[in-house]
Amino acid sequence: MRALAAAAIGLAAALALVFTVTAIGAPGGTTSPEPLLTTVPEHP
Amino acid sequence: MRRKASLVLLAFAVFFAALAPLVRWYAFPRLAKIPPSEYQTAVLEARPATLLDYATMKPRTVPKVSIVQTLRGNVGAARTVGKETGRDVVVWDALSYIQGPDGKMVSRIPERYVFDAHSQDPVHAGGEHVDGDAVRREGIEYKWPFLTEKRDYRYFDAQTRTSAPIHYKGTRNFRGLSVYYFEQTIPWTKVPLPKTMPVDGVTPETVRKAGTSRWYTTKRMFWVEPTTGAPVNGQEIHREELRGGTLLGGRDRVTVFSGHVKMREDYIAHTVKMVSSQRQLVLAFTTYLPWGFGVLGAGLLSVALLLEARSRKPGESSPGPRRRLVNLRPRVPS
Repeated sequence: MRALAAAAIGLAAALALVFTVTAIGAPGGTTSPEPLLTTVPEHP
Repeated sequence: MRRKASLVLLAFAVFFAALAPLVRWYAFPRLAKIPPSEYQTAVLEARPATLLDYATMKPRTVPKVSIVQTLRGNVGAARTVGKETGRDVVVWDALSYIQGPDGKMVSRIPERYVFDAHSQDPVHAGGEHVDGDAVRREGIEYKWPFLTEKRDYRYFDAQTRTSAPIHYKGTRNFRGLSVYYFEQTIPWTKVPLPKTMPVDGVTPETVRKAGTSRWYTTKRMFWVEPTTGAPVNGQEIHREELRGGTLLGGRDRVTVFSGHVKMREDYIAHTVKMVSSQRQLVLAFTTYLPWGFGVLGAGLLSVALLLEARSRKPGESSPGPRRRLVNLRPRVPS
């Protein structure tokens, strides 16, 4: 019984961690102020 | 004490064993995405190239023609389209700017490309267009999906505004990276004239009224790093002609552009370096973490079972009888 409880705690922690991280996701950021180029840049 | 430790280890074993598939099959599709704020430039060159001289209406060979491609993620538009469609999308505003050897503009084609941030599937919203013409893309453009497969894809051709197969032609080694080589050939096709013409006073309407049309063919080649789906090199053998009408001085066709367009060396080196590092991030989600967590979970489970076995005496299944034996031990009179 104790073993089952321990396994359930481990599984719940894993699910909670993954759901939280994916729900937060990556930051969206902002549109770059750099222009669409009409000159040839010298370097990348 | 050992029993407590084995239970804690068992919890951790299950935690890591569960994380392994969750990271690969649940977190990866939700976290591995093209950032909506991406900004990228690429410079390609044709050395030499044939270019139409609009003053004489005769093609001439020039030492170099440069193509500058800029992709800029439009975060505001991505949010709006995301709310409309309920998907995580990326909106790229792109410009292909072609510059002649004298620094003057040869062509400029703006585009808007809207696609799913993870799968690269096109999303038909948000005003996708090529040179102001509304289009409905099928397949991919600019980038392949994460974990690219060894198969043909449909690739959108901006000049013809249509999609056609791009064929997987084998695995190659490119600058130390294992890449998939893809090739697409667009046969001679009548295509729209650019909205912005390189000569003042000449518009697509005046060319059309003269009965002249623009035709184009290309052989497109991409070397794609399959884990990220990012092309690390691209080339085109590109030809354009004007055909028919009264503008060509009695000729039935005139070359507008002809050249073998290749990515500039410094951009290849930059792209290979960038893709090599991003590849490690994708591999972390698809390989390193799932396998690492799986092995760790199995190891912890083994230790937990070992501790559990050692905490028990042979032939005993629970600590109950031991306590009884202690209680029955005869007392020694003092």
